[in-house]
Amino acid sequence: MSTGSIVEKPELLLEPSTAVKKSSLWQWAALGAILLGSFGHLLIKLGVTAATHNIGGGSLIARIGHYFLQPTAVTGLAVYGAGTLLWIYAVSQRDISFLYPLTALTYVTVALGGKFMLGETISAERWLGIGIVMIGVAMLQFSAKGDRP
Amino acid sequence: MNPLTALWLSIVLGACAQVFLKRGVGHQQLAGGARSYLGLLRSGWVWAWGICFLFATGLWMVAISAMQVSYAFPLLSVGYLVVAVLSIMFLKERVPTSRWVAIAVITVGVALIFKSS
Repeated sequence: MSTGSIVEKPELLLEPSTAVKKSSLWQWAALGAILLGSFGHLLIKLGVTAATHNIGGGSLIARIGHYFLQPTAVTGLAVYGAGTLLWIYAVSQRDISFLYPLTALTYVTVALGGKFMLGETISAERWLGIGIVMIGVAMLQFSAKGDRP
Repeated sequence: MNPLTALWLSIVLGACAQVFLKRGVGHQQLAGGARSYLGLLRSGWVWAWGICFLFATGLWMVAISAMQVSYAFPLLSVGYLVVAVLSIMFLKERVPTSRWVAIAVITVGVALIFKSS
């Protein structure tokens, strides 16, 4: 049976899949970082907006300190932090001039998330903007062809 | 602090942070999981990233709490440009023309997304 030879040489089965996994892992890391970053950002924004209603003015340091005490903002920061760990991995793998503009996908995920989860409407102008950002991100991918792996 | 000053400082510090991070992690493999992440704490560049990132985030909070997102978010795209310039100067990254064009296209798209908000 052919299964016998596979068991004897498991590396024959494993090698191709691990090779693919290794080279594309950064893409999943970058995507995960962007998604977690979007969600974290949303929570931070909610927390900060609430905090601003409560305190209004105050010195810069006092205001930043107050933001870090808001539960919603802190949860957002934690989610953001998890995304950051994934981001660090992606940064270790690719050029930063390529990766950083990819984060513009955040605006696309936030807009689409708002539409499909919160029922927000997206204007024609905004759809156009989303399309143009996607085109730009696709162009970025082409610009990465000659980069160091 | 003036929200606009906070915004610009946040953009520049945020861009510097990304370049510091790249300088710190280089092209190494982070295959060792948690241990290799902890190893990054020995890098001064990674600390520089953390500090700049923290300040950039705080300043961003100050800016967006007092500013329209339709104004703040598109300006954030300037950070991509700053990172590209700094990556050439300090990281010897090669930025092809297609990448500059892509950054310009993305900036236009972001401006359109937030124009109506």
